[in-house]
Amino acid sequence: MTRRRPSPRAVVWGSIALFAVLLALLTHQLSASQPPAPRPVLVRTVIKRKVVTTYVPTPGRSTVSTSGSAAPLPAEAAPITTGAS
Amino acid sequence: MAEHDLSFDAMGSHVRLLIGEPGPGMAPAAAAAEQARRFVVEFDAALSRFKPESELCALNADPRRDVPASELLRTAVKAGLRAAAQSGGLVDPTLVGEIESAGYVASRAGVPGEPLAVALAGAPPRRPARPNPASRWHEIAVDDEAGTISRPPGVRFDSGGTGKGLAADLIAASLRGYSRFVVDCGGDIRIGGANALAWPYEVFVEHPLSGERAFVLKLGTGAVATSGLNVRIWRDADGRFAHHLLDPASGEPAWTGLIGVTALGDTAVEAETFAKAALLSGPEGARAVLAERGGLVVHDGGRVESVGPLSAKPRIRIPAAPPTGAAA
Repeated sequence: MTRRRPSPRAVVWGSIALFAVLLALLTHQLSASQPPAPRPVLVRTVIKRKVVTTYVPTPGRSTVSTSGSAAPLPAEAAPITTGAS
Repeated sequence: MAEHDLSFDAMGSHVRLLIGEPGPGMAPAAAAAEQARRFVVEFDAALSRFKPESELCALNADPRRDVPASELLRTAVKAGLRAAAQSGGLVDPTLVGEIESAGYVASRAGVPGEPLAVALAGAPPRRPARPNPASRWHEIAVDDEAGTISRPPGVRFDSGGTGKGLAADLIAASLRGYSRFVVDCGGDIRIGGANALAWPYEVFVEHPLSGERAFVLKLGTGAVATSGLNVRIWRDADGRFAHHLLDPASGEPAWTGLIGVTALGDTAVEAETFAKAALLSGPEGARAVLAERGGLVVHDGGRVESVGPLSAKPRIRIPAAPPTGAAA
């Protein structure tokens, strides 16, 4: 007994029909579903401890001499020194 | 962090002012520095025993028991008396005759001294100085209401032991409100200002023998002062080495085994008093004098010893916060 092969035209139309049915089914399902409930958001406070070591300038180096306006500023002022006087 | 830096010579030594940003309504740092300079000049003119026209010389020459005196002179005498009391009489402000007998009758500013190392080799055996129980500084009294100073005629007062420290303290009082400041009157240093607590100054301690840095202090407030033999050493009429730190008990220059002491204190007068008292006390006594506030002693041989809190003080600090402008 030989089995008849379906014609190419029937295969094409069948495929299109099946695709249309599946598309309609998915569209209906998507439109009928409820939006998901909002998820609670967990907020965490993150404390970062940062130790900043700052260079403390020698006061003489951070000073500005204004004693002589016409004279150039000294490149480096004298340090603070205690000694017998 | 701009600071006004003004240096000049006065009171027989070098004076330096470092003044930061002014607080609201305060004069600019340059104006404050100039005002302080004028004050130091007036202070020196009034309180120098080397200037015959000074109010101090007039007081010492006055035959009356109760002598009218300016507020500045009264303040200086009170500071000298406090130092004497605090040191148990070791820092004696009445040794004018003794210091003149030792040969210190005129300012030695700019006069090169004898080398300390040579003087140490020829100095008498070391021993701690002692107070003079017969000293008459107890008999000096200041009456601010009457505006007078009372003392037995003939008892002369010398502001030399506390004068530079007092000048530093009085100037510091006028600089409250500036972000930070240093007042250095010949090595008697007062430091202040809100920002100085977070941004302390480095203060170098000079070694009396080498002149090099013996130690580095970080100070955000308070005072530091140094007393030493290295600057004013001369030979007396008999050819013996002499200096300006006298043993009150003998009236002679004290050779105690220490050649320099640096002391910390709340005020420059206090630090200066500690430094002088410690040096006069010798090594053992100096440790006791400096135990509470801390300090640095330099022995005859040049060895540097830190004492009290200073020996345990951290050398590096992390500031809590950077300065954010002028202090209130």
